[in-house]
Amino acid sequence: MSMNLIEKDRVATINPLKTCQPLGAMWAVTGISRAVPLVHGSQGCSAFVRYCLSRHFREPSEIAVTSLHEDAAVFGGRKNLVEGIQNVAIRLKPDFIGVITTCSSEIIGDDVIGFIKTAKGELKEKIGEEAVEKIKIIPISTPSFVETHLKGYDNTIKALADYVAEPSQPNEKINIIPGMVNPGDIREIKHMLRLMDIESIVLADISDPFDAPLRPSTTEYKPYYPKGGTTVDEIVDSANSVGTISLTKYAGSGALSLEKKYNVPAELGPIPIGVRNTDQFLRNLKKLTGQDIPDSILDERGLLIDSMADVASRYLFDKTVAIYGDPEITSGIARFVGELGMEPKLVLTGSKSQEFVKDIEKVAKETGAEIDTMIDQDLRSMEVYLKDNPVDLMIGGSDARLMAKENDIPLVRVGYPVYDRVGYHRRPIVGYNGGIQLMDLITNTVLEKYYEPEHWKLQQ
Amino acid sequence: MEPVTETFESRKKHVCVKGEGLSIPVCDKASLPGTVTQRTCVYGGARIVLMPITDSIHLVHGPIGCAACTWDIRGSKTSREDIYKKGCSTNLQEKDIIFGGEKKLYETIIELNKLYKPGAVFVYATCVAGIIGDDIKAVCKKAEGITGCRVIPVQSEGFQNHNKTKGHWIGGDALLDYVIGTKEPEETTPFDINIVGEFNVAGDLWGIKPLLEEMGVNIISTLTGDSHVDEIAQAHRAKLNIVQCQKSSNYVAKKMEKKYGIPFIKVNFFGLEQTVASLRDVADFFGDEEMIERTERIIESGLKEVSHKIEEYKKRLTGKTVALYVGGNKAWSLVRPFEELGMDVMMSGTKNGIREDYEMIKEAVRDGTIIVDDANSAELTRLLKEHRPNLLISGAKEKYISLKLGIPFCDFNHDRITAFAGFRGFVSFAKEVDASVSSPVFELTSKSLRGD
Repeated sequence: MSMNLIEKDRVATINPLKTCQPLGAMWAVTGISRAVPLVHGSQGCSAFVRYCLSRHFREPSEIAVTSLHEDAAVFGGRKNLVEGIQNVAIRLKPDFIGVITTCSSEIIGDDVIGFIKTAKGELKEKIGEEAVEKIKIIPISTPSFVETHLKGYDNTIKALADYVAEPSQPNEKINIIPGMVNPGDIREIKHMLRLMDIESIVLADISDPFDAPLRPSTTEYKPYYPKGGTTVDEIVDSANSVGTISLTKYAGSGALSLEKKYNVPAELGPIPIGVRNTDQFLRNLKKLTGQDIPDSILDERGLLIDSMADVASRYLFDKTVAIYGDPEITSGIARFVGELGMEPKLVLTGSKSQEFVKDIEKVAKETGAEIDTMIDQDLRSMEVYLKDNPVDLMIGGSDARLMAKENDIPLVRVGYPVYDRVGYHRRPIVGYNGGIQLMDLITNTVLEKYYEPEHWKLQQ
Repeated sequence: MEPVTETFESRKKHVCVKGEGLSIPVCDKASLPGTVTQRTCVYGGARIVLMPITDSIHLVHGPIGCAACTWDIRGSKTSREDIYKKGCSTNLQEKDIIFGGEKKLYETIIELNKLYKPGAVFVYATCVAGIIGDDIKAVCKKAEGITGCRVIPVQSEGFQNHNKTKGHWIGGDALLDYVIGTKEPEETTPFDINIVGEFNVAGDLWGIKPLLEEMGVNIISTLTGDSHVDEIAQAHRAKLNIVQCQKSSNYVAKKMEKKYGIPFIKVNFFGLEQTVASLRDVADFFGDEEMIERTERIIESGLKEVSHKIEEYKKRLTGKTVALYVGGNKAWSLVRPFEELGMDVMMSGTKNGIREDYEMIKEAVRDGTIIVDDANSAELTRLLKEHRPNLLISGAKEKYISLKLGIPFCDFNHDRITAFAGFRGFVSFAKEVDASVSSPVFELTSKSLRGD
């Protein structure tokens, strides 16, 4: 039916639904093979993010920091950054250093590009020109007082396109910008690409670094560099791909940059959550690569739809849902629950995105639901809303767990962060397989809450 | 002398071995830029000291990340309100950076006061607030005038210092300057005390408080676990401060001694021996015969209740080695409790130790123990790989480094969920240590299919 935009009526932010740009940058740089994220800021800027990432992924999160202190705030952070880059380069011999700014280094106006040049110059004398040239050292501007963590992720991928990608011979590959999704999601995307017989470059691939095997350590560098990640060579080669699909239209600057600079056609979104979005993703793949959609994928689609037919009308129809989180995941799930016959009553994001409003308008039209939409909001807004407008189910991250408990509304955990359950970062919600996983999770949660155990023998 | 582990030249003296040379590492220096330091910032230090005040709003004045990454991450429990768990921020935007954030801060305080009627609003300055020069003191004063609620500035700009200990002091200063001494208790007793530096992580306070109350002391306030601001306001009338976390809170205790003449004694409720000694020290301080007698009875029944429960764990843990990489206080105060379990502390270190912390560590550990200051994650990894302790005790950032190396881990940081203090707490502690060390999964982590 329609979409109602509910404006925030407060200045205070209470229980935030977003965090700051540097987190997104640290996330993305971790997805590069043998890379070190180097945060140019105060120690807390890396410490708290490492803490949060570790809590979500249950993995180490190795992020270096230039440790800015008061003297840097007065005299600038040149000394710390130049020394920091050299220490990283000499000790860890990385292939890539992403220099991630913070609010303080942005405000004091540090000339990061200039400092990187200085650091490289000094490094050449210490480890030789060849060794220095092997290390890509890239500035990533992520002022914390602008937008959200997703913007920081976006700026990082754009920096890869702008500073690393180089055109040479065309390849047959497709670039994938996954957005801030879990290792399980990226693996599912790669699985679909394999079925399509398409080679890909994932910008950037956190799936192994943030879900790494524990094996007896035999090499010198383990575990300083986890397994996997996108290699620098692959990133260089991304300028030669047949196209870029950004799974998030909210962080597609890198794709647009590759299109503009190197004529690599870009498709932005949608995230393949649910049937229609996944269909669209596959059509985009077909369009860009010319590859046909094989039977194996049609079977996976069929399995999802078969499972939906089994349960959607029986258990899920008309159930109301509040969905919160990052814009693409939230809008993707809103569309999917609509396909399941559920009613997305409230969708809420911390981003201030008009694009999101348009997406939800579209979902409202498709589903015939009346959807209350909040952008640039916090979890307090959801709390107030739910007191007056209870829903049957909540879908989002762990930060609303107490609210769910208090309001006696079951919570299906998705997205970032999920720290009070295990395995959610491994399980995909994208693609047809991810759709089955997510739908099972939703259905079982509904069954647990709304169906009496004694009815079970009757209720098939 | 050979360095203990391979590292940067400038870092070598931050790692030493007791009994060789000075036995105290170089410490309290800025971290080397470009390392994965395990340290955090001054803001973090102030926040963890003040956040356990449960009836208060903790408002972070800065861009969203400082609040978003830290709200509700301290496992301090509450027996009453839980508004301290809300993540409140002024969420400074670009235009605030240019024009200043004072107006936004003021409006935010007014709103939060209206919504929650808190005991106080603590306003934390972050790096950005400091750099753009917002006068948070003036804003707090003005907001306090309008709301009638205590609005307390905390000058905790993150980059102020390499050592978050400075943040602990700043948090303490906020209490000393704006809270303590601002309210008179309705009645006082000869046995009034404050528990200082106890943050009720996982409910530790509740393992300590009943013991003290049974002894016959009257607890005016706790700084700051499970506390209300009003109670801390009356803390100046105590006859004694007992200090649990001596890392974060000696500072406050010393200042209270100077300003109000309140003596303090250092206590420790981790481990049976230390719990017993602490209870006796408190009773001895008051010198009241009846209290001393009661205390002995409490000790006797406390030990009787738990001693035999420890034995089973001790059987499995005896001879196992443990590495500590923790906050200053725990780096020395956990040594005896581990020895009580039959374990050997083979390494102890802290992120933010100052010289007096390392003096304490040196006293506590035996010869041959590695003592390490501000080990970055690469050094920590190397130390763990080289020396393979049976257990690492540390916090969330170190947890997965340890587990990736196949080394059992047990959390003793501010986000743990099990209380370890007092007699019963020690049983929980032993149980959790045993669960980590004796878990069969760690037999699998070192085996390879290829037999290499």
